[in-house]
Amino acid sequence: MSQYAFLLDLGRCIGCQACVASCKVGNELGEGQQYIELIEKTHGEFPNLTGGWDNHRCFHCGDAACVTVCPTGALFKEDGLTRLDRDICSGCSYCTEACPYDIPVMWEGKSSKCDGCAETVRAGGTPWCVGTCPSMALEYGPREEIRAEAHRRAEALRGRYPNAQVYGETQAGGLGLLVVMPDDPELLDIPIDPKVPFMADAWQKVVQPASVGITIGAAVVAGAAAVIARRRHEEELEVLEAEGVISGHADGGEEEEGQ
Amino acid sequence: MTTQKQALGDREVLRYRKRPRIVHAILASSFLILLLTGLVILWPALSFLAPGGTTRWLHRVAAVGFMSVPIVYLIADREGAKELMVDSFKYDRDDWRWIKRFWSYAFGHTANMPKQGRLNAGQKMHHALVMLLSAAIVASGLALWFFTPSLGATGHAWAVVIHDLSMLALTLLLVGHLYFTFVYKALSGMTRGYVDKDEARLEHAKWLEELEQEAAEGAAEEDKQTV
Amino acid sequence: MARVKLDITRRAFLKGGLATGGLAAIAPTASIGAVNGMLNAKDPWYREGAIETTYNVCDVCPWRCGVVVKTVNGVVRKIDGNPKDPKSRGMLCARGQGGVSFMYDPDRLQAPMIRTGERGSGQFKEVTWEEALDYTAAALLNVKDKYGEEALAVFGHTSGDHWFADHFAQAWGTPNAAKPSASLCLSPRDEAATLTYGSAVGGHEPVDWDGIAAMTLIGSHIGEDARNTVMQDFANAQARGAKVIVLDPRFSSVAAKADYWLPIKPGTDTALMLAWMNVLITEDLYDKAYVATWTEGFDQLAAHVAEFTPDWAAGITDLPAAQIRETAQVMAANLPRAAVIPGRHTVWYGNDSQRMRATYLVNTLLGAYGREGGMYFNKSVYLEHYPYPPYTVTGSSGGCSAEPGEEAAELPLGPTGKARADGVREVFMRGPTAMQELIDPMVSGDPYPIKSLMVYGVNLLNSIPNPQKTIEALKALEFVVAIDVLPQEHIAWADVVLPEATYLERYDDLWTVPHKTPYIALREPAVDPLYDTKPGWWISRELGTRVGLDAFYKWETIEEYLDKRLISVGSSIEKLKAEGGVITQDGKPYLEDFDGSSPFHTETGKINLYSPELAEAGHDPMPVYEPVDEPPTGFFRLLYGRSPVHTFAKTQNTPVLYEIDPENEVWVNAGACEELGVADGDYVMLENQDGARSGPVKVKATERIRHDAVYMVHGFGQNAPGLTNANGKGASDTKLQTRYKLDPISGGAGMRVNFVRLDKEGV
Repeated sequence: MSQYAFLLDLGRCIGCQACVASCKVGNELGEGQQYIELIEKTHGEFPNLTGGWDNHRCFHCGDAACVTVCPTGALFKEDGLTRLDRDICSGCSYCTEACPYDIPVMWEGKSSKCDGCAETVRAGGTPWCVGTCPSMALEYGPREEIRAEAHRRAEALRGRYPNAQVYGETQAGGLGLLVVMPDDPELLDIPIDPKVPFMADAWQKVVQPASVGITIGAAVVAGAAAVIARRRHEEELEVLEAEGVISGHADGGEEEEGQ
Repeated sequence: MTTQKQALGDREVLRYRKRPRIVHAILASSFLILLLTGLVILWPALSFLAPGGTTRWLHRVAAVGFMSVPIVYLIADREGAKELMVDSFKYDRDDWRWIKRFWSYAFGHTANMPKQGRLNAGQKMHHALVMLLSAAIVASGLALWFFTPSLGATGHAWAVVIHDLSMLALTLLLVGHLYFTFVYKALSGMTRGYVDKDEARLEHAKWLEELEQEAAEGAAEEDKQTV
Repeated sequence: MARVKLDITRRAFLKGGLATGGLAAIAPTASIGAVNGMLNAKDPWYREGAIETTYNVCDVCPWRCGVVVKTVNGVVRKIDGNPKDPKSRGMLCARGQGGVSFMYDPDRLQAPMIRTGERGSGQFKEVTWEEALDYTAAALLNVKDKYGEEALAVFGHTSGDHWFADHFAQAWGTPNAAKPSASLCLSPRDEAATLTYGSAVGGHEPVDWDGIAAMTLIGSHIGEDARNTVMQDFANAQARGAKVIVLDPRFSSVAAKADYWLPIKPGTDTALMLAWMNVLITEDLYDKAYVATWTEGFDQLAAHVAEFTPDWAAGITDLPAAQIRETAQVMAANLPRAAVIPGRHTVWYGNDSQRMRATYLVNTLLGAYGREGGMYFNKSVYLEHYPYPPYTVTGSSGGCSAEPGEEAAELPLGPTGKARADGVREVFMRGPTAMQELIDPMVSGDPYPIKSLMVYGVNLLNSIPNPQKTIEALKALEFVVAIDVLPQEHIAWADVVLPEATYLERYDDLWTVPHKTPYIALREPAVDPLYDTKPGWWISRELGTRVGLDAFYKWETIEEYLDKRLISVGSSIEKLKAEGGVITQDGKPYLEDFDGSSPFHTETGKINLYSPELAEAGHDPMPVYEPVDEPPTGFFRLLYGRSPVHTFAKTQNTPVLYEIDPENEVWVNAGACEELGVADGDYVMLENQDGARSGPVKVKATERIRHDAVYMVHGFGQNAPGLTNANGKGASDTKLQTRYKLDPISGGAGMRVNFVRLDKEGV
């Protein structure tokens, strides 16, 4: 199984939103539904300003928090991308809380986020955002090739931005979106090194399966045991009745009149 | 002698009056709805029921019902509520000996069990755990309902784990609750309020003795007055 | 302005549904996603059936990228760039991607309509094409009989405009045909260019991006002004290490990428250019050999700029003198691969031709024209026109698709002896017909009455400054026919509305682009016209044949027309399709391609640093700095620009584009906001110096703009109840542009001469 990845070159991205529109149309997204958001970043005070665009989209984490917290498996990893099958989604919105990049949103009761254009690629096409970008800031391909290209671009970008770097090689288990950043991620308000919370992992691996299993198991065992215990108790009652300890009217014994 | 149903009759004894039974009904029905609607989120096989929002809405309505139980109980049966809460945390020597012999009782044997009061030790523990776990589940549930923005990913995960584990424990307690109800034929206590007097003698002897003593003292008073 | 509703009595037969464009019979839904949702929700569109591919030329903005259109089961699903096309090169901007949504906009005009209520009331009844065309023809002829052919004004824009503003108007005999892309956009740029080096800049700006090493952008906000090819070229140039200098009162997207951002005071760019010329000359940095070989008037220029030092300019432009000097040196260090990009929308302050002259003089000193990495020469496409009889009057509508042309010695006259009524050669020197100058004759009858108006694809009330006057004109006209796709704001004021099919539903004339590699591109329909709409060429012919212009519409079918033209280059529609929709020809971009002869079509064959024509006409032969009016106390200068997701006032209703960018904001300096007690996100009304108001509009309190100006994206604040999404969103800069300053050289309408204040009341 090959690993695929996206490249996002923020040195080139000029915030034109062609990707947003192409994605909306190619994926037949609904009213108000968007997988990509362009967020303006500005630092400093007039006229000493720096800034740029955060082309904000799913980072396709290797160690995806959304996949970890998803109770139904609607979010899953495939070929290096974090995919979403909305048909399975139950609308619990845990993914919206877990994602360190704030990516999934609820749309019409279900999670909504970039699906990596997996179906489009399977049908022989290119991811919609990649194919249209006039700044050639987006690429898609085998992860190793994308990684190499990211480094080539970051190297070239250092001519203008000495702190240019590749983000995504190690973060969150290695991202399926490698980003060429002109500067540190903090300047884009992007977390430096997000980790899946231990409790979320524990929940997915232990609590969720155990809860269902233990409950069913307990019900089955208890059911069987209850039948046995009840029979024993009724035997005991018969004995106690014979011994006269109890009056025993369950089987239609004589009612005592008065006191 | 009257034809009216007496609290302490020949065959049956009144265990739960109407008001506590209503409170129990609210508790039981909301709990079951919470369990089923919660399972829809927890169990992948049921998740197809979730989209559309009905499950979510039902869960929240039932949660309000569940949270209202202590308040309704205190309003409708203040004495009973206080008695239940105090009792569930007071254990005497008979209680501890009973607990040591728990498995015997679990398998249907009442003989050789130490005498118990209105609540046996098992019921006391059940109530105590239910109260503590309910507090945990309500707190974590409210956090998930209203405070998710301030929780963060880790806080959210904690809230979910506490909520789910509390529910697991409460569900196991429910399984136990239904188990003992079935084994000791106690359902009528909640449906009609009365339980079999023999069973009461075997399992809650101290309580029955108290009731009989009260009845005797009451009859003596009556006799005095009729003279 | 009173809000008018479109109150349409639908024709009976429409209720039965339509054979083609079956979607029309289904209840309108707001977004393309919902439209697609009606089809099989499980399969993505590309698996629903066979994908049909057609070629087209995008019409969402005037750049006209070649595209490939994908259609499945008779519904257009996706548009992408045509890899063979020299503009799109396989890529496409957000607007182009929104073309599908534009076509399926539920608010589209569906059938011809004739007004039933008072003009402006928006009351119409649907009629047949026959009835509408006959009515229109009769009305046009009626006005002609009373006032002459010249009493018809034809306004046109978007890619079908030549069928009306060029072909029909010239055949009919009115010189009063205009396109907003001339005097409301390019005129100063192109007239200054013609005066300087003999030809207009051209629709496809001939910047040699592949080799450029240093560029200056004056207000050009690449990335917000999102022309596909320019974004590609810019990204590549910068990645290659080209230096970028941006002059802009606002920290735009491209300013944020620049090596130098000069937050220049609005209205002072000419001063800066003069100071640069001073530096280039006094420091001996200019391309001496080039200037010696190819220019006239260097000595005069050198003497002229001697006093325009960086220190002089610093005080005017509000920039440090050292920075002015340094940036000139950066440009010079990279010559001749250095140029000031000419930009596009240049009608700012009314002195714009002179500012553009200054720009070209800098470029000349840098030796850019005809050099690699500088500014190349566009070559026209060789493609014969369809053989028509000579036109009744030669046109001068200009525009962004126009071929570079010559200025006629005598103004062309219509059949009753009248020249165009826009005051050319009187209030302004030269250039294409100035649209905004044709409004007054409609009201005053001076120099002669204009009594009928044909408006094709021009959003009248959201384009021409002083829209209040345009309304007066609409009331005074005897006949107004509007041809459009959507119920734009002015539609309510028409007598007859003729609904056009969009570019995806029709053939059109071949798209020819003067270019480094001149090329011809094909537009063919992907689907049949929706509802009861028709292509522009058909409407033009049907009208033309009803008013006696049969001789100009001899072709039976549009395919016949196109094939006849294509034969002249040995091609045909079929061949063009087989070749991927584009035919490319050889260009002649550089000096060496001219074998020693001059590519400059001036009298002398040299670049005119000093312009004798301007001197003769009584204008400054070399640019001087003319101060502009300052904002009154409490007011800000109103600046405007583009959103990368919208085109002018055209796409605000398009569902996909509307969802991404539903309203504009007014950019106000954060410090200024604090002083005013206005917070980021507050809604305010904008009121201009004449009391005109627009809004409510959201405030964007930002560090990214000077204290003395506010900025907003053009095209919002529309008053069009028929546009479900766009109506009433944001504020309209046009409604706040009650004044403009006429450029006396080109006729351009300088619109950045209005000032606004923020008003929290009346929101």
